[in-house]
Amino acid sequence: MSDAFRSSTARDDASSSDSSPTDRLNGLLQRVAFKDREAFAQLYAATSSKLYGTVLCILRHRGWTDDVVQEAYVSIWQKAGQFDAAKASSITWMVTIARNGAIDELRRHPARRVEREDALDDVASVEPTAQARLETEQDARRLYACLDELEKGRRDMVRLAYLDGWSRADLATHFDQPVNTVKTWLHRALKQLKGCLSP
Amino acid sequence: MTDHDDLDMLAAEFVLGTLDAHERESVAHRRQHDTELDALIRAWESRLAPLGDEVKAITPGPDLLARIERRIEQMEADTGEARVIRLRKRLRYWQWGTGLATAAALVMAILLVTPFGREAAEPPFVAVFQQNDQQPAFMLTVDLASQRLNVQPVTAEPLPDKSYQLWIKADPLGPDPRSVGVLNDDLSLDPTALSHYDSELLKNATFGISVEPAGGSPTGQPTGPAIHGYLYPTEKEAGQHRL
Repeated sequence: MSDAFRSSTARDDASSSDSSPTDRLNGLLQRVAFKDREAFAQLYAATSSKLYGTVLCILRHRGWTDDVVQEAYVSIWQKAGQFDAAKASSITWMVTIARNGAIDELRRHPARRVEREDALDDVASVEPTAQARLETEQDARRLYACLDELEKGRRDMVRLAYLDGWSRADLATHFDQPVNTVKTWLHRALKQLKGCLSP
Repeated sequence: MTDHDDLDMLAAEFVLGTLDAHERESVAHRRQHDTELDALIRAWESRLAPLGDEVKAITPGPDLLARIERRIEQMEADTGEARVIRLRKRLRYWQWGTGLATAAALVMAILLVTPFGREAAEPPFVAVFQQNDQQPAFMLTVDLASQRLNVQPVTAEPLPDKSYQLWIKADPLGPDPRSVGVLNDDLSLDPTALSHYDSELLKNATFGISVEPAGGSPTGQPTGPAIHGYLYPTEKEAGQHRL
């Protein structure tokens, strides 16, 4: 079953000013489910820099990123009818498709990635955009508060894995630990995060 | 550590991205039929999503959208035939299934190969409405020459205190779906319900069937869960599957 046929009360028109960005994206996705090309172009305009930034951060190669982002939007076109606003936010759903594509690619062809020594500094220094902050402000604040409770090394591991696509082996090399130790640390960090985030 | 914990960590590492290619593939495959794993993955996706706010937004090159659109056009052009082939495979699968499934397959076979009017200038078009992309719940056949329609439930059954409603959506009609009609209690529909739409519009339209309160949507727009279908020509099939 898909919700794509359900009509949205918040009009998804680009010119509408009273609907939130989330409602607007949901509305566009519904139209894309009906193979609406104009809505697809609007959806691309609204989300492509976010998806592109996400994938480029993981692959660090423009041409490769172009390919993965292309396939992500093709999937979005095909699967828009499966998007369920009750289960996920539209932007998370779209970013997840792109991130999964990027990580799958990276795991299949690890040698294609040009390693960057400054990844850690890079990640640590980037500030979220004001708008992105606003969108998920409360969730973000909670997550960051919980991340702050982790030991610094484990916090870096989580961020390097999630944002830069580092594998267990990459982390093992960087932190100079056996892979199994890294796995144990990751599991502890993830469990601690989950415990901290649960109401 | 319990099995549930193990599964939760597998989901967490899948979302975090630290599994190797083989593990990722096996998790992606498994979640399709393991609803617990799928739910755990979704929970981790929303838990970690705010981390993505840290990523700098980067505008792609100016040609990327055009590239994506070309790829989609190419794909869509292939789709019609591909769907019919998939349908044929599904049909074969059903024929080997249980008695019930065989009955469903027969309904479908008859619809696929029986044109309404032998003299029709164009072959009839058929839309298949699927639930969860597994089995068609309805089939809609439209004879473009006479604009007559026929709705046939395949696996769908009447629902107590609910009605099924057929919708049409096409670019010339604007962004919202329009009601074609509420299905009768026996899941049939007035065959002339599409007669005021021209055949070009019908060919490019999307159809949806939604579950609504008894008597149809109170708002004039679909309010319940919906399933979609597109029309495909049956000409090629007719030659091969004539009963």
